[in-house]
Amino acid sequence: MLDARARARFTRNRSAVAGTAIVAGLVIFALVGPLLASHGPLESDFAHGVGPDRMPVGPSAGFPLGADRIFRDVFARLAVAGRLSLLIAVSATLIASAIGAAVGIVAGYYEGRRFARVVSVDGILMRVIDVLLAFPFLLLVMAIGAALERTSAVTIFVILGVTGWMGIARVLRAKTMQVRSLDYVVASRALGQSAPSVMLRHVLPNVAGPLVVSATVMVAQMIVADSVLSYLGVGIAPPTPTWGRMLFEGQDYYAAAPWLVAAPATVILLAVWGFNMLGEGLRDALDPHDA
Amino acid sequence: MRSILTMRDALAPALLLSALALLGAPLGCDTALPSPVASSRGDETAPRRGGTLRLATFSDVRGGLDPVGTVDGISLGAIHLIFAGLVDYDEHARVVPDLAERWDIDDGGRTYRVALRAGVTMQDGTELTADDVKRSAERALHPSTPNPVGSAFANIVGYEAYSTGKAEHLAGVVVEGRYVVAFHLEKPDSTFLQLLAMHTLRPTCKTAGDRYSDAWLACGAGPFKLLPDGWQRGTSLRLVRHDAYFRPGLPYLASVEWTFNMTPIAQRARFERDELDLARELTGADERRFLADPRWKDLGAMGSDKTIYGESMNTRMAPFDNVEIRRAVAAAVDREHQTLLQPSRMSVLTQALPLMLQDDPSFAGQRYDYTAALEHMKKAGFPYDPATRTGGWPHPIEYLIYDQGLNVYTAQLLQQDLAKIGIHIFLKMVSWAAFLAIQQRANASPMSQGNWTLDYPDPSSIFDPLFTTAAIAPEGSYNTAFYSSPRLDDLVSRAHLEMDETARKALYREANALVCDEAPWAFTYGHHTFEMRQAYVHGFAPHPVWPLDVSGVWLDHAGQALEHVLGGGLR
Repeated sequence: MLDARARARFTRNRSAVAGTAIVAGLVIFALVGPLLASHGPLESDFAHGVGPDRMPVGPSAGFPLGADRIFRDVFARLAVAGRLSLLIAVSATLIASAIGAAVGIVAGYYEGRRFARVVSVDGILMRVIDVLLAFPFLLLVMAIGAALERTSAVTIFVILGVTGWMGIARVLRAKTMQVRSLDYVVASRALGQSAPSVMLRHVLPNVAGPLVVSATVMVAQMIVADSVLSYLGVGIAPPTPTWGRMLFEGQDYYAAAPWLVAAPATVILLAVWGFNMLGEGLRDALDPHDA
Repeated sequence: MRSILTMRDALAPALLLSALALLGAPLGCDTALPSPVASSRGDETAPRRGGTLRLATFSDVRGGLDPVGTVDGISLGAIHLIFAGLVDYDEHARVVPDLAERWDIDDGGRTYRVALRAGVTMQDGTELTADDVKRSAERALHPSTPNPVGSAFANIVGYEAYSTGKAEHLAGVVVEGRYVVAFHLEKPDSTFLQLLAMHTLRPTCKTAGDRYSDAWLACGAGPFKLLPDGWQRGTSLRLVRHDAYFRPGLPYLASVEWTFNMTPIAQRARFERDELDLARELTGADERRFLADPRWKDLGAMGSDKTIYGESMNTRMAPFDNVEIRRAVAAAVDREHQTLLQPSRMSVLTQALPLMLQDDPSFAGQRYDYTAALEHMKKAGFPYDPATRTGGWPHPIEYLIYDQGLNVYTAQLLQQDLAKIGIHIFLKMVSWAAFLAIQQRANASPMSQGNWTLDYPDPSSIFDPLFTTAAIAPEGSYNTAFYSSPRLDDLVSRAHLEMDETARKALYREANALVCDEAPWAFTYGHHTFEMRQAYVHGFAPHPVWPLDVSGVWLDHAGQALEHVLGGGLR
């Protein structure tokens, strides 16, 4: 996807490289962190996690990021939560990208055309998007989350995915409208290729760049959305650690045990920031004229 | 379109922020507490009149301010200030006369005759008479009144006919003179004075009429009154001094004001900035910070231990229909670990009675005993081998929680404890309202946290609502374990009839031992309040029964306009 010139532009962009490094670092932390931790993420350690004043111990050799309010290892929980948060964010983004790409390409391809002189596919799809965008995203997700009997990682990323595709659909509609009038697309249609075939073989590859850029930035949004759901208590139920839930549980202690807030807040910040920089770097590399 | 602020521009401050957060954690950086705001007159002790006591709560008045309706912790505090009772509790939780001048008990405990103080002025300006007491009792117990505790008064003669609409008046409440009223009971009841001290039968103004109405402006004979715009639902409540209150000179405060829906963190911040006079809902961590500071330590006050917590096990649902499983749970819970969550407010609880009612130090109750817990699992038919982690109850059990307070954390500790004996619970988080509805519905929730605060300081306030067969209902059952024991019912019933205090205590000891053994609850911890005041708040002490009693509180805040020093100028 990145040709030599794009790769060169990407590697010259320090913010893009920093974003890549942060994302890679978080992925490594999530994968390797639990293996390095001396405690399980769900087990309380009353022998070593309780300080002399009966407060959770602060960062130390046994607890690199301190203990939480029921004396569990914050480092281990943060790493396991990272696996979940990244899994949820990436999976939700894949779902949203698939739906958004399908809707956006179809709408853009048929823009201006009416079937039987009445039905405008583009018009219908865009009005559906308008209606869905009119719902506050987080409120909608929270309502669905609260209505579910029991939430798991799968239910969370499915909810986020099926409610978060509209932005991508709009971007790809606009890009498809540009691509469909290019000579090779017109030629393939003139040669009798079916519309689905044209969209799949000629349009999709040419809108892949914006799709990847939008998706990368969307991962950051999904991390925030997942954290908000957990923070508000409609995400994955305890004791499974999530970054948002850890933030919630630590907020009462922010003055006395600041590591309880600092640790999840920092990784959320880094993750959002890293994916945003990576996305912007990709945009600059793939489409320098837009930059 | 390019954003005005590039990612590179944002990099530096964001990095700095992260670095500060990361550095701050290892260093354990702490925010220093400000000094308490001192009294304007130093150590002078003569009470001053005036000022507004500013309070806040993360909650709201969920019920109403009518003493006959549903009440909650916040409304009960306000109701106690608006409505005076015939009798009340003193600072040692003893029943003492309030609107009553005295009482007599006749007919072997079947008649309670109350002589009222003469000349008590209600908040609507009229005088309190025995007719008001009878009218208020009939209003409270009428079938059209949404009174959740009306059945507690079923022992009054004629209650059955009156509460079912077959009688026009409550025959057992008799006006015997302008200031004398008698309560006639079907059977002797040693707890009747405690019931009178509760909020339900407190006299209401004549404006309340004979029947309950949502639109009525709460009005009684208490030290503070509610003005028409005093209660902004969901936002605030302001009560002002009842100038004609029957206790001369009281209250000192001009008003009391609550702000609702304020998080404990915001409360602490506003308290530190001198925007609240009392901090009543400090988090455990903040509480420890205040107590560790010598400037603040003596300004904190612990309330009485009148709330019990435990794991309520539905005795009608598997596996808790097996008493050995319940005993295993009771033995597996490490209560010391749970109390680490808030050591200054929580105390290990091994029996049904809260600390303030415990009178037998030799009683062991339920204790953490891992070996015994494994033995009970074996007796239940589900042996568990900790070495191989095999055996135990084969199905995961739903444990209901709500996202408020400490129960999310105690639930996770319970989860760890029970996993060690082969019982696996998963947590289902719901709203507080849903929690109550599900927990109190028959066959809906196998296990959840139970908690109960004494309505009045007597063992009957625990056993009657929580463990008797009569307290079981298909919906809204306070007996959340749906526990039914003819032996316990008999003990509790006999204790009600028993007028001899020693014999009565013996019956409740037996009831306590039975409940601990059959374990409808695994009792876990007792809880009491902790309140921090500013140095200029005087005369404040947590009340052993009521959530709030500020009738003797006075302020000496230099910044607040006070009327005058008490003494010659006071009426």
